[in-house]
Amino acid sequence: MGTTGPSDIDPATGKPWGLNFPVITIGDMVQVQARLLDALGIDQLFCVVGGSMGGMQVLEWCSNYPERVFSAVPIATAAKHSAQNIAFHEVGRQAIAADPDWCDGAYLEQGKNPDRGLAVARMAAHITYLSEPALHRKFGRNLQERKGFSYGFDADFQVESYLRYQGSTFVERFDANSYLYITRAMDYFDLAEEHGGVLANAFKGTKTRFCVMSFSSDWLFPTSESRTIMRALNAVAANVSFVEVQSDKGHDAFLLDEPQFHATLKGFLQGAADHRGLAP
Amino acid sequence: MINRSKQVLRVDLALIAEMVAPGARVLDVGCGDGALLDWLGQHKQVDGRGIELSMAGVAAAVSHGLSVVQGDADTDLSYYPDDSFDYVILSQTLQATRDPRRVLANMLRIGKHAIVSFPNFGHWRIRMDISLHGRMPVTDTLSYQWYETPNIHFCTIRDFLVLCQDMNIGVLRSVALGRSGNVLPNIWSNLLAAQGMFLLSRGT
Repeated sequence: MGTTGPSDIDPATGKPWGLNFPVITIGDMVQVQARLLDALGIDQLFCVVGGSMGGMQVLEWCSNYPERVFSAVPIATAAKHSAQNIAFHEVGRQAIAADPDWCDGAYLEQGKNPDRGLAVARMAAHITYLSEPALHRKFGRNLQERKGFSYGFDADFQVESYLRYQGSTFVERFDANSYLYITRAMDYFDLAEEHGGVLANAFKGTKTRFCVMSFSSDWLFPTSESRTIMRALNAVAANVSFVEVQSDKGHDAFLLDEPQFHATLKGFLQGAADHRGLAP
Repeated sequence: MINRSKQVLRVDLALIAEMVAPGARVLDVGCGDGALLDWLGQHKQVDGRGIELSMAGVAAAVSHGLSVVQGDADTDLSYYPDDSFDYVILSQTLQATRDPRRVLANMLRIGKHAIVSFPNFGHWRIRMDISLHGRMPVTDTLSYQWYETPNIHFCTIRDFLVLCQDMNIGVLRSVALGRSGNVLPNIWSNLLAAQGMFLLSRGT
């Protein structure tokens, strides 16, 4: 995951970094992106767009490199990771750590992989991306290819089967230690804290055009978090739009085809292009 | 960006637009789909922002490239810094706010000027409805029954001017409007005007 991660080889030891990899922050991620742009010779970005953790990166971009961001769209995100979100992350990390195949982080050296722990972490996280209405619409209490309960602990319900599938496919593409580091980076994110406890200070003097967006059924990054960002931007007289999109799809909505979300984003980008003098 | 510049502005909005100086910074509170902001941007090179309660309105405005946030006059104005706008506009919304006095104070804290329009509860038709028929008025501009109206703080033009005096607000211009938004002579306006529109400033 990323440019370099805990599964890469530590040149000093010739072994995977594992838990010797330094803990990274959202600020570190953005700094790497900025250095990439330096190397590519790109001075300014027309628009920085991102959802969830990507939205945290958007905010960090606008705070640390304001002159390099003409417009910004933080979507379904927050200026700090909430206690509830840290709590869910901790459940995921503990699930990984409880898997004996995790080997205190040295599973690659031991030729093992904490698939079960990582799958459970993903299952818990996946629930936070959905909403009760979305789960109900998709699965209700429907049973999985059977007529009655098994009165055992098989995946009787469709929702159980779905979560198990989500967990099992995730382990094929995700490294367990990377999961620990990335969730930790989000936990540590608190943009106001970096600016004397006042979020508005993070955006003082900004000339960036903002479009903050949230989704009505997102309880992981609820609209109140986006409103906090919007109010901080208003406090520094920034150019800001803010829309809460009606959707029952939860946090996941920002990855899905929500017509109103896309129409609003398109309109904002066109408006920004007009102001930047870019041809349509 | 869809070009709406050829569209004709609603009569009362056109009057507001006329009060705004070219190139000004404008905050339109309750901006709807942003028609006024759009017009001001195209014709008066105004740097405009909006606040709107309805999601449909916000989405329409942002989709047109305008800078509009979802929020309301009662809760969101307090987050704006002093002197951040030349004009703060509140059209046909004052009577629907929870705390009109605080909203007015905030408008003139944020902006050097405020432009406010509202339905005049002193209009003769309304007086007739109450005095002759004993009923709460339901008119073209106030088309709600008492039990469903969002308008919770009605005032007459005279009430409003008294409040301005109490708050040491300067009234730079007052315009009396008829039922179709036509400008009336400024005489007996508390009786004859369906709407009042005011350009306000700090201090008298």
